[in-house]
Amino acid sequence: MARSYSDTELLAVLLSREVRDGETSACGALSMIPAAALLLARAHHAPSAEVIILGSPAFFPFPTSRQFHYLAQRGDLDLFFVSGVQIDRRANYNLHQIGGERDRPQIRFPGGYGGGMIYYVARRSIIFRTEHTRRTFVEQVDFISAKGSTPPETLRLGAPSKVITPMATLRINRDTKLLDLESVHAPHTPWDVAANTGFELVAADGRPAESAPATPPPTEDELKLLRGSVRETMITTGTYADWAEAHLGGGRQD
Amino acid sequence: MFAMIQAGSMGVPYVPVIGLVGSNVLDNRDDMIIQPDPFDPSHSSVVARAYRPDVALLHGLKADRHGNVFLGRESDDVLLAEASRLVIVTVESIVDRLDDAEMMRALPSILVDTIVETTYGAHPAGCPGAYPADAGHMARYLEAARDDASFHDYLRETVIEVPNHDAYVESFVPAEWKNSLATAHRSESGRPA
Repeated sequence: MARSYSDTELLAVLLSREVRDGETSACGALSMIPAAALLLARAHHAPSAEVIILGSPAFFPFPTSRQFHYLAQRGDLDLFFVSGVQIDRRANYNLHQIGGERDRPQIRFPGGYGGGMIYYVARRSIIFRTEHTRRTFVEQVDFISAKGSTPPETLRLGAPSKVITPMATLRINRDTKLLDLESVHAPHTPWDVAANTGFELVAADGRPAESAPATPPPTEDELKLLRGSVRETMITTGTYADWAEAHLGGGRQD
Repeated sequence: MFAMIQAGSMGVPYVPVIGLVGSNVLDNRDDMIIQPDPFDPSHSSVVARAYRPDVALLHGLKADRHGNVFLGRESDDVLLAEASRLVIVTVESIVDRLDDAEMMRALPSILVDTIVETTYGAHPAGCPGAYPADAGHMARYLEAARDDASFHDYLRETVIEVPNHDAYVESFVPAEWKNSLATAHRSESGRPA
């Protein structure tokens, strides 16, 4: 059955559901989908959420990013959205390099830009990724930019909670510290997720991955807000305006 | 890095950093180690050596004849200037005196060693308050950066074989910018009209 929303819109809606009213939530550089999600949460269920969108003149309350880092380091950042080129079953992510040797990689990426710190101090971090494939979801990342879990004596204020892709939501199991399959987004099946994930998955309750439930799809209300007031806000405030115009609304599939 | 520069700006020898534990970022760094908190030995974190560069090179919007620099934006460059032993600043223009509002946010002359008037000195990156990044040139740079040979060609053409800054501006700064710099200085968007 054809869906009435794009992968981008699906991700924005699913990320927005993680934003809680009254908390402070943020996203970093080149984070168009989380930016839309933060604004959707405010319009939909979290009117008093404090949102910080790096690079947006309207939603970045500091003169430089340093003040944002220090806010997070003080423990005042409840939720952060981050992405990675590779993500492994221990919720380590890689934003540095792929392949080759350590000193001579095949591809080098810009690195963490402070993400290696935020991942340890945001109370919850959610990894988003627009691609769910075996090259992205690997047994072990080529380079650990930030670690999903650390020994108990490590000074750390928070930890990753979920990974959200166009295919599924994975959740960190608090006991095993590994990613479990929380739910699967229609029209995909748990078998699709397994076929496109480079490590073994079990459902959140320890049962086989096949028993993972379907993710509640975006509601009419969520999509209407996303395509209406959220899109409008992004355009008028210069918050990834060109992206919002091209990717939200119009029933565009991508 | 912020923290290391901030520690350098404060003149203290090291700074605790939350994060990075267990990452490969620490593999080749002898300036970052994991140490227990001296006040609470049950917790450990990274401790990083303060960063005191010998030289900082910064670019700002304008400077005055007294050596004060208005960067054109709030910037952590101030911390870098404080941390560094020698500070060289290129600016779009030199004026007689920064106005009061500019002085409020200025890099004061006591932190600055040398000022060089270098119009379009940030190109192909942008200079807030004057011009945005040159997207066409940046795309070319990214393409050239794919391998050593093409990057060397790029360097030869844009740096090694360019006799001076005027020749660089002549060859590489978009012609349509040059007529509008005076107005762009006053535009809020930072884009040439």
